[in-house]
Amino acid sequence: MLKLSNVHKSFNGTVAVDDCTITIQSGEVFGLLGPNGAGKTTTVNLAIGLLKPDQGSVYIGEDGSPAQPNIRKKIGVAPQALSLYEELTGTENLIFFGKLQGLSGKHLHERVEWALDFVSLKTRGKDLVKEYSGGMKRRLNLAIAIVHDPPLLLLDEPTVGVDPQSRNAIFDNILALRAEGRSILFTTHYMEEAQRLCDRVGIMDQGKMLALDSVDNLIKAHGGKDLVIAETATEELKIETDDPIAELERLKKNTDLHRFRVERPNLESVFLNLTGRQLRD
Amino acid sequence: MKEVIALAKKDFKLLMRDKTGFFFVLFFPLIFALFFGLIFSGSGGGSSGAIPIVLVDLDSTEASQDFAGLIEDTKGLKVERTDLVQARSLVQRGKRSAYLVLPEGFGETSSNLFWGEPTHLEIGVDPARKAETAMLEGMLTGLFMENMMKGLTDPQGMSDRIKGWRSQIESAPDSTQEELGFMDKFFVELDTFMHELETAETDTAVLSDSAAASEASGWQPLSFEKTDISIKRDGPKNPFEITFPQSIVWGLIGCAASFGISLVVERTRGTLIRLRVAPLQKWQILAGKALACFITTIIVAAMLFLFAVIVFGVRPDSLAMLAMAVISAGICFAGIMMLLAVLGKTEASAGGIGWAVLLIMAMTGGGMIPVFFMPSWMQTLGSLSPVKWAILALEGAVWRGFTFDLMLLHCGILVLIGLVCFTIGAKVFNWTAE
Repeated sequence: MLKLSNVHKSFNGTVAVDDCTITIQSGEVFGLLGPNGAGKTTTVNLAIGLLKPDQGSVYIGEDGSPAQPNIRKKIGVAPQALSLYEELTGTENLIFFGKLQGLSGKHLHERVEWALDFVSLKTRGKDLVKEYSGGMKRRLNLAIAIVHDPPLLLLDEPTVGVDPQSRNAIFDNILALRAEGRSILFTTHYMEEAQRLCDRVGIMDQGKMLALDSVDNLIKAHGGKDLVIAETATEELKIETDDPIAELERLKKNTDLHRFRVERPNLESVFLNLTGRQLRD
Repeated sequence: MKEVIALAKKDFKLLMRDKTGFFFVLFFPLIFALFFGLIFSGSGGGSSGAIPIVLVDLDSTEASQDFAGLIEDTKGLKVERTDLVQARSLVQRGKRSAYLVLPEGFGETSSNLFWGEPTHLEIGVDPARKAETAMLEGMLTGLFMENMMKGLTDPQGMSDRIKGWRSQIESAPDSTQEELGFMDKFFVELDTFMHELETAETDTAVLSDSAAASEASGWQPLSFEKTDISIKRDGPKNPFEITFPQSIVWGLIGCAASFGISLVVERTRGTLIRLRVAPLQKWQILAGKALACFITTIIVAAMLFLFAVIVFGVRPDSLAMLAMAVISAGICFAGIMMLLAVLGKTEASAGGIGWAVLLIMAMTGGGMIPVFFMPSWMQTLGSLSPVKWAILALEGAVWRGFTFDLMLLHCGILVLIGLVCFTIGAKVFNWTAE
């Protein structure tokens, strides 16, 4: 559905994206995980044709470059910055952007109603956007991306600055969109989001794609071993192991084990192992 | 094109909901026009709203003098007496709305009650002043009827009239003795009745009913002979003909500033990303913005002119040329809007720099003080300002009496400025979101 091949982009000599290759299949949720400034938004902007790559190519399906306006009809974008007209109502925003996508008449109004309902804003559609909460604005931002029923969605940090309730609502929305067979490119710096939502994850740092695979494979390859943390009467033990159950059995036999916990490797540890830094450093 | 219209409609809606922007686009220009118009008129708001007319009394009889006095005392009229030549000239130059001539024989015909030819009055007026003419005719008819009633309710005057009628009938060659006897008896009884009235109080209601009945029978007391006097302009008729073109240009300046800043806002608030991701060409996005700006300028200009026409009696020499001037000025300022959008990166800087540039244009181009008050070197400098060309084009259609060629030249300059500014702005515009 989306293919970025060996894409390179720099600004005034500073490399923003370095030799990045991503292929997203139909019905797949692909996560771009990385800290702020990793090059995620630049990659999204390259994917939607807002930026022209210095090297490499971007293809939407079999059709061609997103630099062509008619190809962009297949893309829905929810930018990181809330891209809404605050002096218009939610419905007016959706109608306006729907018209720009070529929708009209009854179909336009049906799609607007659907999009409002999808993000649970049906009862607030007639209110001005400036009266919305941060979470509601985020949801409207998503609704605008899907109003024209695009097969490919690019969601740039769609949960930034929202309350847990709205965040969960957005997660549900993304999963529902995947269930409809849409392809989704999703950027985040929240490891939990990527782990929960994405079929595959690309880990980016300083413009480079450090690793790209399914969450399980990434953890297996780069996450390291499970960590068993055990407390005895006299000390706390931290033991890396491939088999925590066997390790706990051994500790039970040989020590006075009071308490224990097992820490499984996750994408945070993958990032730490790959870069030597925490994801939120 | 549908997308461009959708963009323009969205911008127009946003402007309507932006109270500050709306103020600068419409209300500030109106306040400007009213403020300076009242200062230049020296009236300080004391305009009575009376129709200024010139009165020419060619009859100079007691009856015409009485009627002229009544006209002069009428609140809705501002009357000046002069001769016919001067009267024509004043109307022709637009200094007065109309002239009124009480012709020779006025006194004689005005004494005919319910019979004979009606009294003729000559009104000289610009054909365009239909409303004032109708008002004037209504007022004069009312005054004439009032004067007639006064004559009927004055027993001494009525008695004199009866004497006159009797002598006219007696001298009539084809009257029979029987008819003369009957009429004599009638007039004696009428004269007696009038004397009784003199001693008792007059019941004017009876006379009013009688007058109304004769009116209903089709007899006309007064007829008007209208002479078309087309206005020859040698300057503005009133100060509002200067201040309203200026105010319209202020409206255009407000539009250019508001829409120029709104384009920067699209960039800083991220909506430009959505516009760019939509299946649109860049030119369509800019065309939508320019179209919204252009349509707003036309609406603002039309509303301000309508206000000037209705409230201050501003009368453009040529509506077609006025339309040309407004459209050309609209194109010019839509282009300037595009240039303003590239002057600053943020809303604050674009607004600040934009207004500074526009104020300099307005100062040098006659947007604050009319160009003809400026020293010659500043008038020359002002030629660089599109404000000057816009004001000249608008004034050319209102009171300067531009020929078509001259108007075409001014409109051409405005359109050219607009296109050049738009092209430069579109090329330099930073499409990257902040």
